Parts: sequence; C-alpha cells; structure tokens
Amino acid sequence: MRTVLCFGDSNTHGQIPGGTPLDRYGWTQRWPGVLARALGPKWYVIEEGLSGRTTVRDDPIEGVHKNGRRYLRPCLQSHAPLDLVIIMLGTNDLKARFQQPPSEVAMGIGCLIHDIKELAPGPGGHVSEVMIVAPPPMLDDIKEWEPIFSGAPEKSRRLALEFEIMADSLEVHFFDAGSVITCDPLDGFHINAEAHEALGVALAHEVETIGWSDHER
Amino acid sequence: MPDMRFAPPNPLRIADRAAGLNATSVRSYNERLLLSLLLQNNGITRLEIGESTGLSAQTVSVLVRSLEQEGLVVKGKAQKGRVGPPTTPVSLNPEGAYSVGISIGNKRSHIVLIDFVGTIRFHATLPNPEPNSKSNHPEFLETIQRALEALPKGTQDRLAGIGLALPESRSGLVAGRSESKHKYAALQDEIEKEIGHAVFVQNDITAAAAGESMFGSAKPHADHLYFYLGHELHSRLVLNHQIYNGNSPLSFDIGLSALERRVIAGRLPAEPIWDRPLSWPDYGEALLRWEDELIDSMRGSIAALAQFVEIKTVILSSYIPEDICRDLCAKLGALLPNVMVVAGKSSPSPKAVGAASLPFSSRFMVE
Repeated sequence: MRTVLCFGDSNTHGQIPGGTPLDRYGWTQRWPGVLARALGPKWYVIEEGLSGRTTVRDDPIEGVHKNGRRYLRPCLQSHAPLDLVIIMLGTNDLKARFQQPPSEVAMGIGCLIHDIKELAPGPGGHVSEVMIVAPPPMLDDIKEWEPIFSGAPEKSRRLALEFEIMADSLEVHFFDAGSVITCDPLDGFHINAEAHEALGVALAHEVETIGWSDHER
Repeated sequence: MPDMRFAPPNPLRIADRAAGLNATSVRSYNERLLLSLLLQNNGITRLEIGESTGLSAQTVSVLVRSLEQEGLVVKGKAQKGRVGPPTTPVSLNPEGAYSVGISIGNKRSHIVLIDFVGTIRFHATLPNPEPNSKSNHPEFLETIQRALEALPKGTQDRLAGIGLALPESRSGLVAGRSESKHKYAALQDEIEKEIGHAVFVQNDITAAAAGESMFGSAKPHADHLYFYLGHELHSRLVLNHQIYNGNSPLSFDIGLSALERRVIAGRLPAEPIWDRPLSWPDYGEALLRWEDELIDSMRGSIAALAQFVEIKTVILSSYIPEDICRDLCAKLGALLPNVMVVAGKSSPSPKAVGAASLPFSSRFMVE
C-alpha cells in the first residue's frame, strides 16, 4: 500500500464557499476523498488541510500555528513513510498583512520542499515524491474579504508560473489546479463540491502518471 | 556560509516561455536523452522512461512537462493497463520540429522537408548546383526556400536547421578522390547566408545511415552493416548506434551504374533507373545478372568483415523500387542463414532524409 499526504489550507480542509471555517464538505466530497476513491485501495490518503495555513509565515493575527512550515515536519514524521506529499498552499500568503509578491510565496513553497528533502520521510529513509499544486487563481470579486486580501487576486494569477519555476528548479512534480477548476463566486477564493470532484480526479491522474513500479521498495 | 537553498530559483527549463524552440545552448543532456529514447520507442510511459534512463520520477516529470510546453512531446491517451491504474504514454510530437535535408548526388540534388518523426512533407529533385558557372544556382536556393514555405502555417519557428549531405568522391575506387568535397564546401556558407538557418554538413552515405538509424529500419538495430545502393554500392559499419565514418572512400562499381550498362547493352530504356518510379519495366536477364553480381559483392563484404565483428543484421537502403529492394534482401538473406537482411525504409531519397536528420541529432539527441 502506498501513502500520500495532502498538505493544504481551507481548500484542502473542504471549507464551503461563502461559509465559515465551521462549514465543511464531507470526506467523500472533499478532493482528498475524491483522490482516495479515484486511486483505489492501493493508496492510503492522509488529509491535512487547515484554514488560513500559509507556506512559511507566522500569522500575527490568526496565530503562529497557521505557519505551514512549523507543522510540516511533525506532520511528515507522524505519517512517514510517505510515498508522495502533495502541497497546495499559497493563497493565504497573499493576505494584505504579509505584503508579499508571488515570487516570495514561491520561495516559501521552496522552503517546504527543502524541508521534505532534508527529512526524507519516504520509504526506507528516501525522499518522498513531492507534487506542488498551484491553487486556482482567486476571482476579482472576493466580497467582504477584500480588505484582508487587498491586491491578492491579481497576485494569485501569477502564482502558477512562480510555483512551476520553483518546482522545476528543485525538480519536483507540478500541477496547476487552475487548469481544471476555478474558485466559487460566492466568496471568490474557495472551491465548491464540483471543483473538489474535478481536482481530485485530475490529481489522481497526475499521481498515476508519475508511474509507480509494482514491486514495493 | 551562504545557504544556497534560498538563492533565487534556477529553473532549467521553464524560464523561456516564448513560443517556438528554446535556444540550443540550454538543451540539457537529460532532455536529449529523453528525446533520443522517444525516437527509439515512441509512446512509452514515464515509469518506463525512468527505468531505462535511471532518472528519478521527479526529474522525468519536469523534463516531460517542459518538453510538452515546448511542443516537442505530446501526452498520449491514457491506456488501461492489464493490471493496475491506467498509464499515459509520452510520444514525440510530429509537428514539434522540422528539418530540411539536401543531398547532392551524382547527377541530381534532392531537397526534402521532414517532420520530427521523419515523414517527408516536401520533396523536390533538380540538377546539381554549379557554383562557378552560369547555372541553376538561383533555382537551387529557390527550391530550398520552397521547402521552407512548405512548413505548416505558424510553425516557421520550428525549423531545427538544414542538413547537407555531400559525396566524398564521385568516382570512388576507380579514380581516387576528386574535388567534389571542396567544390561544395562554399555551399554551406552560402545557404546559411542566403536562407538564414544553421547548416549541418555530413558525408552523404553516413548521413543516409544516420537517417535509417533515426527514422527507418535500423531503429531497433544498435549493431549492423549498412549498405547504400546508389550509382555504386557503399557501406558503413554501425556499432552501438555509432556510425563508423572511416576515411576510406571505398565503394564498388556494381551499383545502379552497372545495371544501367547492362540495360543499355540489352537495348532497354535506362531512364527509369534514375527517375525513381515506384516500379521498373521488366529488365529480365539484365536485372537477374546484375542482382547476382551485387549480392556476390555484398556477401564478400560481409565475409571480410566477419573476421573482425560478428554481423547479425544487414540493412540495404536505396531509392530503387521497394519490391526490387525486398527481393535483393530475400536473396541475400537466403545465402546467409545467420544474418538478418532488412530493407531500408522505402524513400525517394534516403540521403536527403539522412541529411535532414542531422539538425535533429545535433540539436535534440545524445551523441
């Protein structure tokens, strides 16, 4: 059996567009659940989505626990051995309070990749496969979130290229979620059940395309 | 000590998002390795690519993605495996790159445009250019221009270059080296200047052998003896995909010129021999006697070579009609039970296609 960790933010947690952090889609609707269904019984899917999670930034308002980098290491060690780590983060780094350009968000993604490589939580102490997923671009209308995410929609459209450059230079897998899904207009940055389904299916295809030899390592 | 982990990212491939082919200088060894592999085995999975190159899954992922963006490879349709999940094969994109090939033959020049998998998209024949006299020289350059115009719309920037196949010697064994190589040396500069694309030059027989290895019957045969049947009979030894381009101008006057002499002696029309039709008229006894002589000579070469290397595969490449070529192969094969004799890929101009393979090997393949 192979194990994949899905490390993300509210869009991995399954927060319902237009709702609060308490409103969450069910397991079979959320993309990690769709991924589990699509990959079949040979894969064990671990879901690790936290609303407000950033790549590497301590959030002065929501708290330091939103910093993805602080939690990634214990999380990797808890769930090792991991054949694959999928990371879909970056949207929260675009909050006005962080004042970061897309390239700095990609640098944060780079840190997480380095941490995974250093920790080598794969089978037999090898480095896990890593897949960076660029989140779908935010819509221009982000409703009451405008002050918090001021300027973010424009930046969010440049994340995919910056992430791909990072994934390329650190030699990890990459997928642009914006190629298959869009955010829901209810709040402009969360994804609805339909998008979860499409993303889970697309990622299952990407995971399979990596190619996994039948003999276990 | 500076921590290099947090230096600006240094993407190997993605930096250049402009349409068209990336500059030659940035094409990495691994990309060449992958493209060469795809040329040999079109439609293989990323897992198979990893297994045969030794590259990690993540490296293969990055390479495939960037070559896909560049339009050089395409993802195939997912195929349900016998066991396990469906797999997606990767193939070369035929429209990913094009190349022009020019061969200067004994009497005529051939100009072809081929796509990335070796399909001929344009073919023209004209008398040889004569640089130093009033001649068809402008027509020659115009024909190259016409080949470029045959590129599908919007793909003009996908030309890998122009290959030029030149004869080493016109008379081979009979009279020693002539000056043909010198005579055409200026041609490379001139085409580069007039047409504005890089020109790659190679000996014509070696080029034909390279084309057969890249696109033709020789693909699966790392080791073989390659015969080219033109005016004369030429050969090249290919070991581990490397063509031994010796300095010997040796060729045998038992090629199509010999057939022409027999045909004329028999008062039969000789033009079809050179016009490259799909079939010849019935040359009867003249053809049979020539075939015997030719087969004898090839057998002799194979026997002589057998003292040094064991030859298991022989490839006979020519522009003669396909049925005649297969017939020759069958007859030679019958005499050599331990040798597989294979006809080259049918082509109106194996040398020009070989010439066109040169820019591809130079820009995309591992040496």
